[in-house]
Amino acid sequence: MNFLINLFIPLTISGLAMGVIYALMAMGLMLLIRAIGVLNFAQGDLLMFGAYLTYCLKDQLKLPLLIMWISAFLLFAVFGAIFMFSVYYPMRDTTWRQTFTITTIAASFILKDSVQLIWGTNPISVKPLIAGSVKIFGTKIAIQYLLIIGIAAVIIWAVFVIFEKLYAGRMMQAATQDKYAAEIIGIPTMITTLITYMIVVVIAGTAGYMVAPIFFVNPTLGTLQLSAFAGVILGGFGNLKGAVVGSIIIGLIQSYSTLITTTYKDTIVFLVIILVLIFRPQGIFLGSKISDKA
Amino acid sequence: MKKKKLVKFLVYLVFVLALILIVPSVTTGYSIMIVDVALLYFIAALGLSVMLGIGGQMTFAAVSFMGVGAFTSAQLSKYAHIPTSLSIILGILVAALFAFLIGLVLLRLKGPFFAFSTISLVQIMSNIFLNYEPLTGGARGIQSIPKLNLGVFSPNNLFGWFYLLIAVAIICGLIVERVRQTHLGRALSSVRDNEIAAMSLGVDVFKTKVVAFTIAGALAGLSGALYAHMSQYISQSLFTFNTSLTFIMMVMLGGVNSTVGTFFGALLVTMLPEWLRPLKQYLMIIYGVGIIFLMVYMPMGLAGVARSILTKCQRKKQQKGAEAANGYSK
Repeated sequence: MNFLINLFIPLTISGLAMGVIYALMAMGLMLLIRAIGVLNFAQGDLLMFGAYLTYCLKDQLKLPLLIMWISAFLLFAVFGAIFMFSVYYPMRDTTWRQTFTITTIAASFILKDSVQLIWGTNPISVKPLIAGSVKIFGTKIAIQYLLIIGIAAVIIWAVFVIFEKLYAGRMMQAATQDKYAAEIIGIPTMITTLITYMIVVVIAGTAGYMVAPIFFVNPTLGTLQLSAFAGVILGGFGNLKGAVVGSIIIGLIQSYSTLITTTYKDTIVFLVIILVLIFRPQGIFLGSKISDKA
Repeated sequence: MKKKKLVKFLVYLVFVLALILIVPSVTTGYSIMIVDVALLYFIAALGLSVMLGIGGQMTFAAVSFMGVGAFTSAQLSKYAHIPTSLSIILGILVAALFAFLIGLVLLRLKGPFFAFSTISLVQIMSNIFLNYEPLTGGARGIQSIPKLNLGVFSPNNLFGWFYLLIAVAIICGLIVERVRQTHLGRALSSVRDNEIAAMSLGVDVFKTKVVAFTIAGALAGLSGALYAHMSQYISQSLFTFNTSLTFIMMVMLGGVNSTVGTFFGALLVTMLPEWLRPLKQYLMIIYGVGIIFLMVYMPMGLAGVARSILTKCQRKKQQKGAEAANGYSK
């Protein structure tokens, strides 16, 4: 019994922590899919960029923690605006939606290489916010994991409040559901799109800040986005809540599958995805219209 | 109409002849390799052009089938000592069979779901290529794969390969152009434009998609098998998601529904990093910025630009004709 607890609690906590990171990315993906109907292939690179930027502010410029948080937040928002004006705004009138997909792939190249130019290719280790570990049921858990889960939960809750409860969020939803009608009743759709982009980059950047102490800060952090894609599928396309829960499940599956095999960890995850797609293409949650998706 | 076709044919013929005559004389050992690789990628990207351009189905899977074709042909020729010409054909067949089986399962999904499932497939396959040593040699890959020997013609160097690949690429391009004109191609386009309408007109949507997917798989398998014998060394690092993104960029930059466009897209995407090499570390940044600019100014790819220039010229001609006929001028 003790053995099982010792085995499962660390796996569950680390799986949950990775799950919420994926959930943050999946939320960003979902918001962009809803807003402009584009799959953002640069999502993982935005996370990587966030990790590097916060490293720069904290360890290179040595800003105090609070000022660093505020400046990081503002920089992410500004970067979101830059991102939108470079990969969305110039092609907004195109009738061919795939254009945006290509530009996000290009943006991913640019981000990866600029980061390598500025900070080099060597992995950089970052100290966690609160070092050390706590004991839960007699097993040591790094505090950073718990911190990730806590902060991510707050962000996820905040995004839900913004998009479901506030008037501004309703405006954004209206703009994504029917752009033309929203413009007729006076919603500035360009501004709502801009704000969506800013929120997406802020979320992804914060996720990067949080994973930095666990993985090293390095250009390959971008590959985490594939798991976020998987979470989006698992939760059902176009469903914000589903994307969050789906991503957390992906994190847990990845974590538990290390019990069986480490080399084929990703194979198991993606096999699960294909099985879900085949047997439950509407995602694992009811309530979304099947006809929309499959 | 017939005259137009003849002119088009002559233009292509001149172009191909020019390519065959000029390229080997201006290239050296390294740059001819780039051209060869571009041609190989073109063959694989053609399969994508069938799925995405004609059928409107976003797929990332080409790279997995390329891997299957490459490893099959390499294994068969190296360890089973099957003649290379036969092993390539077997590689194509295995890749096509694999694509057919995968297609039967995955094509039940639609739109973005299908695209996502192919991403998953690429991840699974690259993981297997990396870890399943008996088939793929693991991270070390397979070395000293036998040279290609076709009996009548066996390319000894990369220039020989260039002629062979040009021929294969033209044949594959013609096959795809032919597919466009047949019942299958038209059915596929109807699926792309409106699936429900296609179904109500009696198109077997599922079957059409599976056949197209199998053709795409066969083309990718051919490309992979040829690659294995050309470079005589293959490893998993080629068959990853990034290569898949490269294929998609080739097709989209070239023009999603155009064979010739795909050809130029493949050349552009393979050559651009080489041309930009003097810029060294700024390479990928400029590459990315360049792609964004291409998308801003020519969103339908190179083929789209060519088409719009052609129609402009025609309109001017017609205008002139009409003016002359009316005896009217400003």
